[in-house]
Amino acid sequence: MLEKKICMLGTLAVGKTSLVRRFIEGIYSEDYQTSIGVKVDKKSVREAGQEVKLVLWDIFGEDRFQKVQASYWRGMFGYLLVVDGTRRNTLDEALALNQRVTDTGLKVPAILLVNKADLADQWEIGDDRLAQLTQSGWEIMRTSAKTGENVDAAFSRLTSKMLGK
Amino acid sequence: MSAGQKLQPSNMAEQAQRRASQENATQNPPVDNSARDGNSSDSHAYEELRHLIVGPEQEGLKEIQERLDDTGRRIDDVSSVVAEAIQKRREQGDNQALSEALAPTIQDTLRESVRRDPHVLADALFPVMGPAIRKSITETLRSMLESFNTALEHSLSWQGLKWRLEAFRTGRPFSEVAMMHSLLFSVEQVFLIHRETGLVLSHVVAPRVATQDPSLVSGMLSAIQQFVKDSFESQRGDNTLDFLEVGELEVWIEQGPGAVLAAVIRGHAPETYRVAMKEALENIQRHYSSALAHFEGDAAPFRPVEDDLTHLLETQFKNDSEKDRRRPRAALIAGAVILALIAIPVGYSVYLLWEWSRFLKVLRQEPGIVVMSYARDGGRYHVQGFRDPLAANPENLLSSAGIDPKTANLELKPFYSFDDPIVLRRANAFLHPPSGVTLSEKDGQLRAEGIATPAFISRFEERAPWIPGVTAVDDSHLQNSEQLELNRLRSSLESTVLLFPIGRAELEPGQENNIAVTQNNIRALLVEAGRLNGKLAIDVIGHTDITGVEGTNLVLSKQRADVIINLLARSGIKPVNLRGRGVGTSEPLHDESTEEGRRFNRSVTFKVAFSPAPPVN
Repeated sequence: MLEKKICMLGTLAVGKTSLVRRFIEGIYSEDYQTSIGVKVDKKSVREAGQEVKLVLWDIFGEDRFQKVQASYWRGMFGYLLVVDGTRRNTLDEALALNQRVTDTGLKVPAILLVNKADLADQWEIGDDRLAQLTQSGWEIMRTSAKTGENVDAAFSRLTSKMLGK
Repeated sequence: MSAGQKLQPSNMAEQAQRRASQENATQNPPVDNSARDGNSSDSHAYEELRHLIVGPEQEGLKEIQERLDDTGRRIDDVSSVVAEAIQKRREQGDNQALSEALAPTIQDTLRESVRRDPHVLADALFPVMGPAIRKSITETLRSMLESFNTALEHSLSWQGLKWRLEAFRTGRPFSEVAMMHSLLFSVEQVFLIHRETGLVLSHVVAPRVATQDPSLVSGMLSAIQQFVKDSFESQRGDNTLDFLEVGELEVWIEQGPGAVLAAVIRGHAPETYRVAMKEALENIQRHYSSALAHFEGDAAPFRPVEDDLTHLLETQFKNDSEKDRRRPRAALIAGAVILALIAIPVGYSVYLLWEWSRFLKVLRQEPGIVVMSYARDGGRYHVQGFRDPLAANPENLLSSAGIDPKTANLELKPFYSFDDPIVLRRANAFLHPPSGVTLSEKDGQLRAEGIATPAFISRFEERAPWIPGVTAVDDSHLQNSEQLELNRLRSSLESTVLLFPIGRAELEPGQENNIAVTQNNIRALLVEAGRLNGKLAIDVIGHTDITGVEGTNLVLSKQRADVIINLLARSGIKPVNLRGRGVGTSEPLHDESTEEGRRFNRSVTFKVAFSPAPPVN
């Protein structure tokens, strides 16, 4: 069976952990994230007739006091960049973080998740901004950890991208 | 086919040629030899003819011969059929012969292969041996665990109880708890982790060990490692986490360029285990360097690594360790010494006490000694009480009890003891009985037996009642040495029975001899009594049986006595010494239930009374 390490990246409180909680089967408590900055979970998915075990590194959100340790995303096969649709600055910070990832020479599949789709009326990130990002090559999905919208789909999509489909 | 029968290729060719020329000779007319010698064209024609006729056959033979002579071609020929030949032989069902023929060669080949390079065979056998060894280890462990369990199941040692309590408290099986504590170390899990991605490449677990998902553990372990590395990076920049300790568990981590080896160990493994890990990792790095570099999440190529990892699942028990074996022995010796230090004085005191209590018991049982109190005072014993002067010497008693008389202080005051042995001892001391006389005493009654002079007898009768402790005197078994003849005659007379018929007062016939003996006895008695200067009285007693009326019987019995007295008087015995009396049925000689008994009761008997003259002192 294939195993793939994927990372959840994004700034603080954008809902990464909630997304992961919707998706995974894990054994570690969320305290790990605050203590060492990462928590590892897993989820088996079936994509294009192939069983893939996703080993999910949920990395503690970055803020101006704490930088995400680059070593955590080392060796990942793909990642989900998560932003909070209701907070515009989370997109900017996510893109800055993404820059750091690409600066290390990593070229792996990624999807930009705009979370909190259930609060779409409070969004600060407009469609035009998202369209712009799509044009620059980003694949974007709107998700809601609260309703579960697009959560499984996001992981499936990332898996199929990693498998080159 | 034996070697001698084998056809040699060269022979075959010669024979074929010879046969061909013989055939020519028979098929063609004889040729003049001189003509042939002389005519070369004839000879040529002959050769041509011969060539035409036997040429193709000769070519064939030549080719066969060449083929047989050429070793290279022969090898080619055999090689093309050797596999099929062996196959066919096997199909023919003669495997045994084939195996026997091949076995020595195969054995030699294997031996040679191992000698040249053991790795070739080892590698080939590895996939077979790994699982076999694993299975064997599993079985051994399981049976060991079970025997361990039964062995300890019945152990009631302090440790056993402690472990049992722990098993009860934690809800784990007792065997598991005992195992945990007896283990020196046990490698429970080994992970091979892809260094770059933190994904697990291979994971092995010891039997009966509960585990978490290896992917998660592996990922988290990598994360922790990276966390440690990032957080505490030193100037040298090569900081790696190679040891974690969690309660009874340790995680030993060995880093390679492409892979990380992590062993989860219960207990404390020796440093040599680190070396084993390093070697295993080096081996893996060497064999899988390319697979590690191009790892895309598929762990399948690393499956054989499992056998290497299984070798790292080691278990050692405490009693395997020299150090731990020595410790209990040393503790045992120390314990024994301490125990001896305590036990020797305690034991000695206990022994002394026991010895003393034994002595006191003996003392209390000793006749003529009364123990009133005893006490211990700094190693000396004090006993207070009474002792008859005729009782045993207490110092002798101390010595025979093994006690130093110096350690004992006996205050025994003199008194008269009424204990039987002491009274007897006192009587002997008072009376000095002659050698023919034995004294005995029971509950104050003193008895003398034997033959004694009249002087002793009178002394006995006079003094014995005065002896302290003597309440009664019995000299009935004491015979006067001067009355022996008288006593003999008396017993003889007193055993005489003179018989009468029923209801009659005249003797049964046929007792003349009895009468004569009786008369002689009485005469001798009277003579002996006169010699002793004593007074003799003989009762002549008449008896009847119970038949008839008692009044009549009394009269009849008196009549019978009188008949005998008259009879004796007639023989010259003075009736003054004889007293006749009739007792009827009141003093029967025999049981009346039988006729024989009743017969004896129709009789006359005698009773002798002798009063000796008072002794002359």
